[in-house]
Amino acid sequence: MQGKKFFLGTLSTLMVLTALAKDYSVERFGAKKDGISLNSAVIQGAIDYIHENGGGRLVFEEGKYLTGTIFLKSNVTLHLEKGAVLLGSVNPFDYEKNKYIGWTSMIFAIKQDNIGITGQGMIDGRGARTANNMVANIQKGLVSDPLKYDRPNETNRPQNIYFRECTNVRITGITLKNPASWNQTYDQCKNLYVDSITVDSKNYWNNDGIDVVDCDSVIIKNSYFDAADDVICFKSHDPAKICQNVIVDNCTGRSSANGLKFGTVSRGGFRNFKVTNLKIVDTYRSAITFAAVDGGLVENIEVDGVRSINTGNVIYLRIGDRWSNGKQPYMKNIRISNVYAEVPATKPDAGYSYEGPIEDLPRNISPASIVGLPQYKIQGVTLKNIEIVYPGGGNPHYAKRGLSEKELESIPEMPAAYPEFSQFKELPAWGFYVRHATGIRFDNIVLRAKESDYRPAIVFDDVQKASFNKIRVEEPGAKGKKQLFLHHTTRTK
Amino acid sequence: MRVLQLLLVIALFPLCAAAKDYNASLFGILSDGVTNNTRSIQKAIDFIHEKGGGRLVFYVGRYITGAVQLRSNVTIKLEEGAVLVGAASVYEYRSSGTIRAIISADGQQHIGISGKGVIEGNGRAVTASAAALQKNGYLHQKDLAKPALMGFTNCSDIKIDSVNLWNGCGKAQVFDRCTDVVVERVNISSKQEPGAGGIRLSGSGNVRIRDSFIDVPERPRIEGRNNNQSVQVDRTIDPSGKLLSVSE
Repeated sequence: MQGKKFFLGTLSTLMVLTALAKDYSVERFGAKKDGISLNSAVIQGAIDYIHENGGGRLVFEEGKYLTGTIFLKSNVTLHLEKGAVLLGSVNPFDYEKNKYIGWTSMIFAIKQDNIGITGQGMIDGRGARTANNMVANIQKGLVSDPLKYDRPNETNRPQNIYFRECTNVRITGITLKNPASWNQTYDQCKNLYVDSITVDSKNYWNNDGIDVVDCDSVIIKNSYFDAADDVICFKSHDPAKICQNVIVDNCTGRSSANGLKFGTVSRGGFRNFKVTNLKIVDTYRSAITFAAVDGGLVENIEVDGVRSINTGNVIYLRIGDRWSNGKQPYMKNIRISNVYAEVPATKPDAGYSYEGPIEDLPRNISPASIVGLPQYKIQGVTLKNIEIVYPGGGNPHYAKRGLSEKELESIPEMPAAYPEFSQFKELPAWGFYVRHATGIRFDNIVLRAKESDYRPAIVFDDVQKASFNKIRVEEPGAKGKKQLFLHHTTRTK
Repeated sequence: MRVLQLLLVIALFPLCAAAKDYNASLFGILSDGVTNNTRSIQKAIDFIHEKGGGRLVFYVGRYITGAVQLRSNVTIKLEEGAVLVGAASVYEYRSSGTIRAIISADGQQHIGISGKGVIEGNGRAVTASAAALQKNGYLHQKDLAKPALMGFTNCSDIKIDSVNLWNGCGKAQVFDRCTDVVVERVNISSKQEPGAGGIRLSGSGNVRIRDSFIDVPERPRIEGRNNNQSVQVDRTIDPSGKLLSVSE
């Protein structure tokens, strides 16, 4: 791994810089840690001072530091000691919607280098209160907002962190809690290092775990995410940019949306990823969703080692044609291996706040799916050493999609739809459904249904160069049932 | 005839709207003496300005704020018992306009501060904040200037009336290149900080100051004899009852 060596080199350089950096106590700039006094101006004054005087760490000792929007500057690290909380103001007017980025945040950094947020402390956005205060301001006519879905637009609600066009960014040790919008976004950054963070982000709509947009050279590891919306989410907002050279290792996620997600906004694309030792639990949608629906590419992706427990869907790979603007999306060279997954019969995120919406009914339990478009086929996907336990119990009197030509063709293409595993409603397989793809290799796949299901385990439709090695299907009372159904599909050895 | 009356009412409505009063609470501004209201007050001023103007009304209570900037056609009305309290840190005044002040304005017209309430400069705390930063070696050049209670640059049609201006650490009022200024029934009392001053005029014209009182540690005065035009001071006195006029 040439990339890994490069990362380690960068990392050790950064550590040396950190060690040499001077520490400044934020209290010595006049900050109050009573949780009542607003410190935005003082923290900003301190950041500016350290930035102008050679850099260093701005240290927050134990206590609650109320703040609104602040801008981090080059060579400054916010160091939150254990028990230190950057407490978000609940007054929406204490936050800035940055004109350059078009989003709102507590901590911004724009075009800055060598910055970080470290320590064992916490950033607590208290976003639900801020968002609800914002709703009141909108209803009073003070602020204009379309209130789509009866909530303020996500660009108007403050995230905890939004860094844009920064290099050498370190986020380590901290806990990120309760933003009003997404949580932490790193947009067009280079050399992003995230280690040992904890995210508790489920107090308002769109609360994500982490969003990495069009970044180059990224490590995310040893971290825990509990989020209402997507957990570890890579996006590509700019058709001329790309998210690339990314390592995700030893992370655990819980979500009322998806676990590891590429997209939904996927204009440029995603390239050269290695994801290892990923654990997804109690998650409403898919443990892994890769979406190329806006003209972008998904290429050279390796996922090795996944435990997906009590999660509604395991794998969803999708090419769509939503905002492509003439660009031709593609997805190729994907390898997913060593996966153990359990899909429940009941709602996986029941009881969490901001549960995922119940939709696309009626349908029986949805299979893992790889679905391209007739003109944009998903190319070269290897699935190896995969075991998925399903509830089974698909009932044709509730929802039915049979195997006749007519029924298979009746599955809509939905190129412009929002990509979710459930979007096609009832699908004709209970384990795996693959359509419009080429070079799909299934190697050592075990699919278990706990109860019998009217559908076969696997359906391939319009797939070229499919290959199967060691496929084992277990379903009660299904002796002699044809579990592998191929339609308009060609096989290779 | 009825229709005509109705049309007249509709036609006049925008004019009425221009003089509208807005309570501070509408903007979530809190009178608790603890919450820093800077951004909410700024939002309120901007909102009223964009709606064509009006008065932002503060009723009894203590309203903490850092620097806010007044905009055209907006008057801040401090009802009796309302105290606008300057936030303690010098960093809170970096959001000022050209002149560092709790309330400043650059290039605005038809603005005012009115009412029997108080603008409390909190000068002792602001000075202490600057001293602490200086002691730690962190005081920046741009934070050296002591904030005025109010400071206007290139503004016209300004009316300041009835307010009590207390405990500044800089000047109470600064008018730089302003025209058509009226200051009346204003009580300035900044006795705590040695450097606190009264009124300073520079490059301004058509200024009327009347029925006011200035009590500051520096010699109470209205600075600006040289470069202003048409300044008239009437019945304005210092603590000894001496009538003041424009001095250097």
